[in-house]
Amino acid sequence: MAVCIAIIGKDNSPQYIATSDLDKELELQYRVHAALDVVEEKCEPGTKTTPESRELYLGLLYSTETHKIYGYVTNTKIKFIIVMDSSNTALRENEVRSMFRNLHILYTDAVCNPFYIPGEPLNSKKFDKSVRGIMTGNI
Amino acid sequence: MNNKPILTYAGAEQLFRSLESHIVSAIPLDTYEWRRPYGRPIKNVRLDAKFQQFSTEPLEKYRKGEWSIQEHPVLHIFITECNDIETYKTVIRDEIDTWLKTLQLYNIDDWMILLVETIDVRKTKNLIPRTTVLDKIRLDFASKSGDRCISVLNPAKFEQRSTESFRCLVQRIKHLMLVSYNKNIIKYEELIRAQREKRNHDGWSFLKYFLLQEELALILENLGLYTEALVQYDELDAMFSQFVTNSVFGEKHKWLETFRQQTASFPGISLKKKNKFKARDDIISGTITLIDFRNYLFERQCILLEQCDRTAEIGERLLPFLFSTLRELEVMKIEAPVGALSCWEFVCALEVLDICDRAMETKEVSCFQHCAPIWNLAKDKLYELGKLCGLLPGFTPTSEQLHTVVQLSAGIGDEPETEEMFVETQPQIEKKSHSPNRKPKKSSTQKLKDALGANEAFQKLYLELCELAISTYKHVSRLRSARLVGLDLGNFYCALNEPNKAVVFFTDLLRELKSENWNHLASQTLLELASCYRKMDDLLAYTKTCSTISCCLEMEILVRTFYFDEFLKSLKALKDHLTIDAGSNLNLALLEDHFKILGVKLLNEKLIIQDDFVVVQLKLDSYFPREVYAEKILLSFDMNSNVNEFTVNASLNESPILPISLHLDYKQDNTLACASVACETVKSKQPVRRTSSTRRKLSPTVRTDFTNSVCIECGVAIHPGVNVFELRCKAVRVGIWRFKQLSIHIDRIEFLSDRIPLKMDPFEITTKPASAVLSFKNLIAGIEQPVQLIVSGGSFIFPPDAKIVLKCSKHLKVRLRDASDDSLESQINIPLVAFKSFEERTIELDVLSELPGRSADKKIEHKVTLLCPWSRNEIEIPLHFLPALTTSCRLHTCGTQKFLHVCLKGLDGHLSLIEPKMTCEAVGVSLIDLNSKSPQQIEIYKNLTVSYLWELQVEPLKTETELPVIKVNFSAKYTNFDKPGVFRSFACSFDVTDYTTLFRIQAHIEPSELCRVGSVCSLHLKISKVHDNPFSDLMYEVLADQNMWAVCGRSAGVISMLDVECHSISLDVLPLSAGFLPLPNVRLSKYISSKSKTESRPKPLPFPPGQIYNSTKSIQIHVLAGANAEQ
Repeated sequence: MAVCIAIIGKDNSPQYIATSDLDKELELQYRVHAALDVVEEKCEPGTKTTPESRELYLGLLYSTETHKIYGYVTNTKIKFIIVMDSSNTALRENEVRSMFRNLHILYTDAVCNPFYIPGEPLNSKKFDKSVRGIMTGNI
Repeated sequence: MNNKPILTYAGAEQLFRSLESHIVSAIPLDTYEWRRPYGRPIKNVRLDAKFQQFSTEPLEKYRKGEWSIQEHPVLHIFITECNDIETYKTVIRDEIDTWLKTLQLYNIDDWMILLVETIDVRKTKNLIPRTTVLDKIRLDFASKSGDRCISVLNPAKFEQRSTESFRCLVQRIKHLMLVSYNKNIIKYEELIRAQREKRNHDGWSFLKYFLLQEELALILENLGLYTEALVQYDELDAMFSQFVTNSVFGEKHKWLETFRQQTASFPGISLKKKNKFKARDDIISGTITLIDFRNYLFERQCILLEQCDRTAEIGERLLPFLFSTLRELEVMKIEAPVGALSCWEFVCALEVLDICDRAMETKEVSCFQHCAPIWNLAKDKLYELGKLCGLLPGFTPTSEQLHTVVQLSAGIGDEPETEEMFVETQPQIEKKSHSPNRKPKKSSTQKLKDALGANEAFQKLYLELCELAISTYKHVSRLRSARLVGLDLGNFYCALNEPNKAVVFFTDLLRELKSENWNHLASQTLLELASCYRKMDDLLAYTKTCSTISCCLEMEILVRTFYFDEFLKSLKALKDHLTIDAGSNLNLALLEDHFKILGVKLLNEKLIIQDDFVVVQLKLDSYFPREVYAEKILLSFDMNSNVNEFTVNASLNESPILPISLHLDYKQDNTLACASVACETVKSKQPVRRTSSTRRKLSPTVRTDFTNSVCIECGVAIHPGVNVFELRCKAVRVGIWRFKQLSIHIDRIEFLSDRIPLKMDPFEITTKPASAVLSFKNLIAGIEQPVQLIVSGGSFIFPPDAKIVLKCSKHLKVRLRDASDDSLESQINIPLVAFKSFEERTIELDVLSELPGRSADKKIEHKVTLLCPWSRNEIEIPLHFLPALTTSCRLHTCGTQKFLHVCLKGLDGHLSLIEPKMTCEAVGVSLIDLNSKSPQQIEIYKNLTVSYLWELQVEPLKTETELPVIKVNFSAKYTNFDKPGVFRSFACSFDVTDYTTLFRIQAHIEPSELCRVGSVCSLHLKISKVHDNPFSDLMYEVLADQNMWAVCGRSAGVISMLDVECHSISLDVLPLSAGFLPLPNVRLSKYISSKSKTESRPKPLPFPPGQIYNSTKSIQIHVLAGANAEQ
């Protein structure tokens, strides 16, 4: 389902990036990086966001011919980016939403580890395994 | 496409035709207020109309429910010019009746009866007919809806007077048209809904349905309801998408086959073409291709969006439109020639950008946000095409590729005929255009064809698109995206063999990526940069890039070592043929990319004194894959100029933990109301920030002043991983310093750090002040005491004849111990011979404080002042001495004899005393020495008391009145017992007063021998005057120990000695215990009657001890055990 899941720290540095296809890793990373522009745009305090600004899900950030890039921002400004293969026309927005929710839970669990230093890259194997589970759709 | 609303006419057709042109031209002249049902907003619309002769043919369809809202007549008009009621009754009424019945048959009630009056003026002047034909018609046909019948003056005949009535007519027609539309639209919507419900039935066709619903859209568009028209198209769009999506899951629709037809033609959208509805004809004929259909739908949406003033939305919709259409083509398995779809996307993109461009130049700024990705897409598509057709730099199209170009050009199709309107407005827009470079616009199709035609044109267009994409992204502050386009552009420049242009884009991207720690991407960019620099022959930059790459931990070790070798190689080359200006910053490299400063530690344990060595331990993590050899490592430090900053930091350093405190608020009944945790920050206004919140700065590192720096100059090898170095330098300047910057020189390259990332306490370089102190233990007055003067030179440079002048306070003397002269002086000079800086010298001194001539045992305070060569101020040192001896003198009485008792008490020191002497200078007073002469010396030491006794004899003639005070002087000599040497004398004078015995007390107990416990005895007191004295009233008190004696009755009394020599008093006393009991003591006091009024009672004053002699003091009485006790 998803081809790339990325977790970006509050200072916009990558903390975790998983890609399904190693050949496209570079391109996908560039996509994720560019997506931060849109995330910033959407999170700007001045913009006319919905009255429910507590909504963490940012929706579709942008799309390319092959990919759709969705975003999610936690209250501590950690950004989750999911890149979906756009050939899957049956994909529903709610599925992406629930992927983000699950990812958020996994992330919270991972950073609760007292040995994890906030802001450092996430190296937990367990976390990686679970995220790759989300990517393939077997949550 | 002519889709004006249709109106029909019946009746006097000839007459109507004469009016038709008037009416048709009058209807669109102004707007009319359209009141719509269901609370839809009121809208002013401009109507248009065309007339047809009444026929039942379209009505037939309407009745069957297969009608088209466009072809359906809006209003039916019956026209007559009958003025005569009789004619009306016979002919016209039947005609109208038939007409109306026909209409009713088709269930239509949108009609109107028009009576054209061609009034004979003379007739109307004479009489007004009772009823007119109009009244009749109203009465007959329109009793409820009278407004459907209207009369009008024939404008052909009454040109002036008819204006008013004609205007009325036009208004009425418009009104009725809109009333009819209200009804028809609702009815048509029902029809559409019904059709939609049947969408899964066999034989239902989307194409037919599309045309059906589109008609509504067209009507709404005609009526100026663009938003509602757009909704119709959007519904159709969504419905079609859903059909296509569902077809994947096995839903089969026959009509979909229409769209499955293969085509080689992929024209882009064009909003300027003349025949906008060409595709509609294809839909009707069922020959439309998917791409044409989608194009048509999008074009229609664009036009309506533009009409709604929502041009920005066109940009927003373009990418979803393109991508979903591509998906649909895929799903429908429509094969396109390679590149054809790219062409289509490119043309669409340029077309939309053109629209947005036009809109933006007037107002829409928000457009930019959507335009930026479109520019990017156009650029990407052009690149794809360029690659396909061999147009990229360094390629020439092969014949096969040329063939592709021809095919693609054919596929795009020819430029459609543009509407004249746009052609007219174009020059005007061009004038407004901000970019002077833009030539008269070519159509998108033409642009693409030109670009595909020649390499130069392709390159030019590609570069233009890239620049536009970058600038637009930057304009909407999507910097990362802009840099990403820059990457593509950089690569293109590389291919063009213009690496110097590419470098700009790569460095921009690199900076952006590094600032946010996207190390993987950054290292890729570094590789690109390295290849650029190599092509450019920029050896210095290449060297730096190579070293950075070799330190990229994300890269594979093979790559890193390769670039490390390159780095070493080019370093060598640099040495050979490059001289670098000292001032230029070109040879600076970021230290953080290559090393990590793990720790900076000051090794000096104590305060750093000027001219000491500052020794710093530097812990460094090297990222280089192999060992590097550094010529120099320098760590600069800087005077901590900002004192405030220092203090703030100091306070922060004290408490690395935030001051968080617990707050508990209680209610009145002592239950907890609120518990909270508060953090009191140093600066209350400044929010607490995590240090990691600061973004890495982007400004280039500036080389600070390295004049003050600790360093290794001799060259050192830095191993991969953690290294520990010791840097040192001489502390030159005094002050508080802070480490600033680290610099590592490897050959010509200087790796320069940012500020030191660690929190470092500032360190201080001080000068050591010279000092002189006195060192001593407890000092004793009267004996020479050793004292050490300790002089430490510090950093002071002493002149050869330096000396310290030491001055003592009064009664204190001093001498240098090893001086030849033995005498003690109150001021001495202490020469500091050949005294060097930092030398510490101890000078032995002896001090002697004179014993005070008084009997005080408190400390004697002295002070010593030093005048030192390094300071103009005198140093005052207080000294406290304890006296070696204390002396006291007491007067003793025996009857009238007087004795002086001198007590010497040793406090400290072991002394021998000789030659005690007591003298008195008063005439008539002699002192008789009662001391034994045998021991010459008397030892005295701590807490030992030595007593001497003299009898004081005063000549009887000399009464106390003459000599109230006798001054006696006691003197003795002493020497140190352990080291007898010089005998020092000390003297002490005492005043003897009240030395004459005035009264004598005698007491005895009767019976004196048979005193028993419990039996009353009598105590006889006898007080006799010895010397005449003015004290007449005396008070006696018997002070008995309450355990021994009980005084029965009064124990005190007042007696008067006036004219009496002697007084006897008897008291009863009771012995309370057996044994030898001392007699009760008797105290005699002066009884002074009060002189002041405040004190009415007389008060007793005690006598000084020399004036009373108690002759029976200390006599003991033997008391036998009481008789009662024996019983």
